[in-house]
Amino acid sequence: MHLTSETFDQNARDALRDPVLHGALRNLADNFVERRRAAIASVDDWEGLREKARVIKEQTLCHLDRYLLQFVENAEKAGVKFHWARDGKEACGIVLNLLKKRGAKHVVKSKSMATEEIHLNAALEAEGIEPVETDLGEWIIQLAGETPSHIVVPAIHKTKAQIADLFVDKVGIEKTDDVDVLTRTARNILRQRFAEAEVGISGVNFGVAETGTIVILENEGNIRLTTGLPKTHIAVMGIEKIIPKFADLDVFLKLLPRSGTGQRLTAYQSIITGVKRNVTDEGPDEIHIVLMDNGRSRMLAHPVTRQSLACIRCGACLNACPVYQQVGGHAYGSVYPGPIGAVITPQLIGISKAKQLPYASSLCGACREVCPVKIDIPELLLHLRAEITDGTAGGAESNPQRKRKFTESLAFRMYGFAWSGPVSYGLGIKAARLMQKLVVRDGRIGKVSGFVAKLLPPLGAWTAWRDAPAVAERSFREQWRDGLGNNSQWSVVSGQ
Amino acid sequence: MTEVNGQTVKQDEARKAILSSIRAHLATSAPFDADWREHHGYASEGVAVWEPIRMAMSSAALAHVFCANLESVGGHCTVVADETEAAKQVGKIIDQLDPRRIAISNSELIGRLVERNAAVEIVENAHAEYLFDCDLGVTSAQWAIAETGTLVLESDRESHRLTSLVPPVHLCVLRAADIRQTLGEILELASRDLSRTVTFITGASRTSDIELTLAIGVHGPGELHVIVIAD
Ligand code: SF4
Repeated sequence: MHLTSETFDQNARDALRDPVLHGALRNLADNFVERRRAAIASVDDWEGLREKARVIKEQTLCHLDRYLLQFVENAEKAGVKFHWARDGKEACGIVLNLLKKRGAKHVVKSKSMATEEIHLNAALEAEGIEPVETDLGEWIIQLAGETPSHIVVPAIHKTKAQIADLFVDKVGIEKTDDVDVLTRTARNILRQRFAEAEVGISGVNFGVAETGTIVILENEGNIRLTTGLPKTHIAVMGIEKIIPKFADLDVFLKLLPRSGTGQRLTAYQSIITGVKRNVTDEGPDEIHIVLMDNGRSRMLAHPVTRQSLACIRCGACLNACPVYQQVGGHAYGSVYPGPIGAVITPQLIGISKAKQLPYASSLCGACREVCPVKIDIPELLLHLRAEITDGTAGGAESNPQRKRKFTESLAFRMYGFAWSGPVSYGLGIKAARLMQKLVVRDGRIGKVSGFVAKLLPPLGAWTAWRDAPAVAERSFREQWRDGLGNNSQWSVVSGQ
Repeated sequence: MTEVNGQTVKQDEARKAILSSIRAHLATSAPFDADWREHHGYASEGVAVWEPIRMAMSSAALAHVFCANLESVGGHCTVVADETEAAKQVGKIIDQLDPRRIAISNSELIGRLVERNAAVEIVENAHAEYLFDCDLGVTSAQWAIAETGTLVLESDRESHRLTSLVPPVHLCVLRAADIRQTLGEILELASRDLSRTVTFITGASRTSDIELTLAIGVHGPGELHVIVIAD
């Protein structure tokens, strides 16, 4: 029933033919893209802030072992219990064990991509524990038996009418098209669940090494309830969520809400440092943090893939992506859709199971443009394409296109390299100009076929899918260097 | 006991395995790092973010900016001259809401401002179960951020984590002297003696989960009233 990453191509074709889905996705660009634009204008130096965030993340990841240990030590001092999980199965086992020991039957959950990633709900249900999703969007898809299609707005693929029908069917309300009534229905039902819950399970946005603090952002208040009401709070976090200093929150709290929902701040931030001091204080008696690797440490093995771990899950790249805007999240067959999903999923589940995802992009660069931590997603996509074609990842299954692999992977590597810096780009352009003499027709690089395709195997399959503008005889950069910047040259250029 | 030990041993194993995997993979990356940094830039001393020179603002001006920003996210804000005025304003809001039960935090200021009378039940530091039946929660806040209209609640200084969250309406009283201009200043202040839980509140509880249409009051309070005491 659920789509898989292996069949992205077919999933996407089906999604394109789904008018209801398009109706639901229609608001995405207008709403989020516009709101984000307005919100970032309220920061004095947005670009400086992004660069600062990128460097903080890169530095943290380069010493992740040290910062993790510092985080653990400080949080333990404040009474937090830690559990390390190598993979999803181990993480689910730890949570299950904690619940069983406490005899917990009622568990409330706030939205957490990490728990989605490891399918925690299914693991709990299999053992007779019912986890209740309390984020409105997550609750809707839990009722519907679906998976999230967006990392910030999980039920973005559903229309109001579909949600109303679902509520009529599952919780027995009268049919309505009033969003406030639907919201109030959820509030009333979930309040009871909060009141009886013994354990609350949440995710984590940031873990501060210096203080052992966890920070969680939200708009609804369900995270505050999940982390504040039940006796036990369990937080599941990926090992990449660490930032070094408390003051670094100034950077990330400015970037995340603006990029994600176009807000200057989300309605609530919970900044939690350890358990309460006295029994009479508010808050849970115990806090457990499950630190999960599940394929993350592998991504540290190369500076290009390491960038994947800088992601703060804002969702901006999904909203900006022309592919996501058309096909929605489910086509990616993963809890992480969109541009970031296309690079994270193959690395998490193994590239052989998600070979089509690194190609689910036109490399337009919109994702890189909006990413608050400046992850170079196109560079990552090219890196993964190269890995697919040269077979360094994904097992040794037989591939009819084997022969082409080396040249194609070389091409992607060169292309990736060329894009990553001005000097190499300049060199690449010169090489491209020589090569394209063979393939350009009417000023475009079109479908390469027949004799030319045999001569130039790397371009054969690739150009079948896309047109690239041919490289100009003289680039703007070259023209500029040769005096375009000088006013007297303008007439020469425009006369060309 | 053996099971507990089994658990601990396995945990230790997992911890070691994750840390050594991190170290091994970082070592694999090392030969590529220099090249990549040359392309992408890498400032080992950190990056300077340009900030305009901010004029120091009077607490009256800060209160004004705070209120404007809070109202832009749907909060209601009033600035009053002193505690007497604040008490009157609290009374007015309570009259309008006509609650059956009011939950108040253990703040001394709030204790002084909320008038006791026989018509309404007032509970200080109410238990969680009880809070679900309250119509209004009244608390103070330790700080506020003017540029975002944000209330800052520190759990070690007042017991207001649930009182500010569970009832459908939250009324908060704070002093203008505790408002700061920026998030950065507040983070610095909060970190000096970090409370177990610091909560930032900016406006009412909200969601856009259904067709990106804004709905107010999903799990937290649907109404937020703030009274700023100027003196
Ligand atoms: S990759 Fe960047 S833009 Fe995309 S979700 Fe992560 S942080 Fe946001």
